Amino acid sequence: MTLIAATNVEALVIFAIVLSITLVITYWASKRMTGAEAFWAAGRSISGAQNGLAISGDYLSAASFLGIAGLIFIFGFDGFLYSVGFLVAFLTVMFLLAERMRNAGKYTIADVLAFRLRERPARTAAAIGTLTVAAFYLIAQMVGAGVLVQALVGIDFSIAVLITGVMMLCYVIFGGMLATTWVQIIKAVLLMTGILVMSVFVLERVGFNPVELFNRAEANTTAESTFSLGPGTFLSSPIDTVSLGIALVLGTAGLPHILMRFFTVPDSKAARSSVVWAMFIIGGFYVLTTFVGFGARALLGEEGVAAAGTGGNLAAPNLAQFLGGGEGTFGGDLFLAVIAAVAFATILAVVAGLVLSASGAVAHDIWSNVIRKGHESEHEEVLVARIAAASIGAIAIAIAIIGGEGLNVSFMVGLAFAVAASANFPALLLALTWRRFNTAGAVTGVLLGVVSSIVLVIISPKVWPGADGEGGALSFYDLANPGIISIPLGFIGCWLGTMLSTERGNERQFAELHVRSETGLGAEKAGVLG
Amino acid sequence: MSQTDPRIDWEAIERSPEFQELIAARRRFVLPATIFFLAWYIGFILLAGYAPDFMAESVYEGLTVGYCLALTQFVMVGVLGIMYLRRAEHVYDPLADELARRALAAPPADAPAAGASGDPSGVTAR
Repeated sequence: MTLIAATNVEALVIFAIVLSITLVITYWASKRMTGAEAFWAAGRSISGAQNGLAISGDYLSAASFLGIAGLIFIFGFDGFLYSVGFLVAFLTVMFLLAERMRNAGKYTIADVLAFRLRERPARTAAAIGTLTVAAFYLIAQMVGAGVLVQALVGIDFSIAVLITGVMMLCYVIFGGMLATTWVQIIKAVLLMTGILVMSVFVLERVGFNPVELFNRAEANTTAESTFSLGPGTFLSSPIDTVSLGIALVLGTAGLPHILMRFFTVPDSKAARSSVVWAMFIIGGFYVLTTFVGFGARALLGEEGVAAAGTGGNLAAPNLAQFLGGGEGTFGGDLFLAVIAAVAFATILAVVAGLVLSASGAVAHDIWSNVIRKGHESEHEEVLVARIAAASIGAIAIAIAIIGGEGLNVSFMVGLAFAVAASANFPALLLALTWRRFNTAGAVTGVLLGVVSSIVLVIISPKVWPGADGEGGALSFYDLANPGIISIPLGFIGCWLGTMLSTERGNERQFAELHVRSETGLGAEKAGVLG
Repeated sequence: MSQTDPRIDWEAIERSPEFQELIAARRRFVLPATIFFLAWYIGFILLAGYAPDFMAESVYEGLTVGYCLALTQFVMVGVLGIMYLRRAEHVYDPLADELARRALAAPPADAPAAGASGDPSGVTAR
């Protein structure tokens, strides 16, 4: 009785429609599943524009949509700082990695390291980096999905996590990269349409004058409000702001599920154009997020803060309800339901990409090339990949349900970016550009990057809040974002390991990798889907 | 794990002036562009961290310095993205395609690059 009463019927119907569409795509993709190349790389058949949309769908998580809109609503300008970092990061990806990755790799980022380094240690290290990033990011998204669906639809947290997890596993296990790609493309279109409509509704209220929107937002604050059009309200420590900013701009270039997308296009030219597509889509999205965030402040005001929940995550859906006519009206409930479904689709597309990249690390890197040393069949690799995806998904669902709503989502996303920037990015960049780099360097760098990020976060004040709400485990260390220390440590680890090791003689492989990554000569060709 | 194509002498290609020209051409743009965007971005972050009052100053009514500088980051991403795309299509791709074409057409290893451009077609024509 209470369950029915609390459930938003419009939202349930729209959720069901979105889920049905994605399942139809998965069925279609499963019919075309011909082997490992189809499973990991969608047969390298995705065009540049399609991949640009899919990258946007893979990248714009619930943290980007609900999280940033909420932060701008509550804190103002500081929320926008995240958007800037998330966007500028694509210049790092484009200039340093995108085309080279496509030319040098096959299915996973470990392929690039193993190309010129000793295969087993290099692959193991890269798989550890991939799995660490994917684990933190995946659990964060699952918890976010549970909280969101519970709040918006009225389904219990554990059931919401379970539904999200089962859907994600359906896409990956039956449809592989092809289904995941199309789920991401549809999600990107839904998300962009949703935020565009919301922005137009918001701007319509202020006569399409953004400056008027800022003025109304600033006017709609009270004495206890944390909102400001200037910085320093959310990120109050300057050095922490800088540390976070650096982790964001370099971390994207170490996110395995984003880098994996470059293997799905036919050649490096398509990889390059897909980054530019993604830049414009993501850039447009983040500009519109400010209209939603400031719009929520201007229209909902300080009274809306309590209703927006932790971190303001519900500011965007609440604003949609307000714009549609308010609570209890058909228009209000419908708009709320649509935006809730868009947010749900957003999470599904991201977690599917994460599970796929994690199963790549387990099946393609660890199983096929470390344990079976390349003697396995392609059929076996895909089978192992499906088992790995199911296991990873099951573990993530279990942790999300057991850890529950208490797990801090933004903290784990921040940790994922720190590990990506400190462990994966230095090793990949140096493997592609530094002739002297060797296996010991890669292993040392990745391990030092992973360990230092995690240790620095564990001793940070976020984990050990003192009696006064400040101070970490160590009195002299109060950095919440480890990037400014852990990223240099990752690079130093790569350098030191290389210099201390006597391993030489991979010059010939470097020549091949160098020529291949810069020219595309000998790169994996586009395959044929069944 | 390198899946070497026996027709290709990678070290010779890496040493060739054509490959060096491709690397240099790309570096001429990518290196300064990377330094510029990192400097502009980190400068913005430093201002946000250490000069919050300046960033909160109003340029025009509610529009702050910080928001304007943030928008310049968006413009920078778009402009650098398009600039790189054009340069890659007009300069790097033709160089790389030519290198790949010659590497696959040329006989392996020992034949010097200059000799390959002599007249191999006379032999194959028969």
